[in-house]
Amino acid sequence: MKKLARRDKMKIYHDILSTIQDEAKRGTIVLTRIQQKTNVPFDRLKTYLTEIRELGLIQDEPSPKLTEKGKQFLGEYEKVLDFMKRMGLTYQK
Amino acid sequence: MNNVALILAEIVSAALSFILVRFMIKPYQYTRESRYIGLPLGFAFLGISYLFMGFALSSDNINFVEDMKWLQLFTQAYAFAFLATTYYFSKQTLEQKTRLSSHFIFSALIVGLIISCLIVFVPPLFALPSYKAVDEYFKVFNIIFASYIALWTLRSHALKPEPKTIWAPLGYFLLAFGQYCSLIWSLDSSFSAFVSAHNFRLAGLLVFLFVSYKAFAAHTMSNKK
Repeated sequence: MKKLARRDKMKIYHDILSTIQDEAKRGTIVLTRIQQKTNVPFDRLKTYLTEIRELGLIQDEPSPKLTEKGKQFLGEYEKVLDFMKRMGLTYQK
Repeated sequence: MNNVALILAEIVSAALSFILVRFMIKPYQYTRESRYIGLPLGFAFLGISYLFMGFALSSDNINFVEDMKWLQLFTQAYAFAFLATTYYFSKQTLEQKTRLSSHFIFSALIVGLIISCLIVFVPPLFALPSYKAVDEYFKVFNIIFASYIALWTLRSHALKPEPKTIWAPLGYFLLAFGQYCSLIWSLDSSFSAFVSAHNFRLAGLLVFLFVSYKAFAAHTMSNKK
C-alpha cells in the first residue's frame, strides 16, 4: 500500500480553506464533505477549523465561509507554491 | 577596469541578493519547514559576501582588505552550502528524521561559519594558509555546490517539463559559470575571465529576480486586472 506523504500544518490549512472555497461555490458546506476532501480525521478537522477561525481566516455564520484574510492567505499560499515550483523545490502537493 | 566599476558591480550584486531574500524567505514563512531556511540564508550570505568584496575594493588599508577578502571567501562558500542543503532536503519526505537532520546540518553550518569568521578576527593562534590557494579551493567547492543545485533543478524540470521551471536551473548554472570564470581569473589573471565572472553572476541574480517577479508581482497584477 502506498504511504501517504505527511502534510505540514500550513498545507492542511490550505487544503481546508480551498475546499471551503470550492464547496461555497456549490452551495451549502457540509463538514463531512470537507473531511472527505481534505482527508483529515473528524476530531482533528474540528480542531483545525477552530484554529483557522481564531486566526480570522473563516467565519462560521451560517456555515464556514472564507473571510477576506482567508482569501488573501489562500492567494499568497498558492503564489508561494508556484514560486517553489519555479525554483525547483520539491514540495508535497 | 577601474575600482569604481568593480565596487559598483559588487554593490549591485549585493542589492539584488538582498532583494531576492525578501522572496526567498516566503517558502519558509508559509510552510514553517526549517529545511527551506537555507534559501533566504544562502542569498543573504551571497549578498554579504559581495558587500565584503566591495569594502575590500574600496579600502587602502592592507589589513582591512585582507580581513574582508577572507570574510568574503567564507560567507560565499557557506551561501552555496546553505542553498545546496536546502535543495538536498527539499526532496526528502516530511519525517521527524529529516527535520532533525536538517536542523543539525543548518546548525553545524552556522557554527562553522561563526568559527571561520572568528579565525579571521581573533589574533592568529596558527598561521593562515595563503589566501590565493584557499580562494581557489573554495571556488572549486562553490562550483560543485552550484552545479549540484543546477543539476537538481534541471532534473526536476526534466521530470515535469514546463517553460516556467527552466529559469531556476539557468540561474544556478550562471552562478556556477561565474564561479568557474572567477577561478580561471584567479589562476591566469585573464581580464576576459574576470569580466565574465561578474557578468555571469549578475545575469544569474537577474534570472532569480525574474523568477520571483513572475511568481509574485506578475500574479498580483494579473489578479488586479
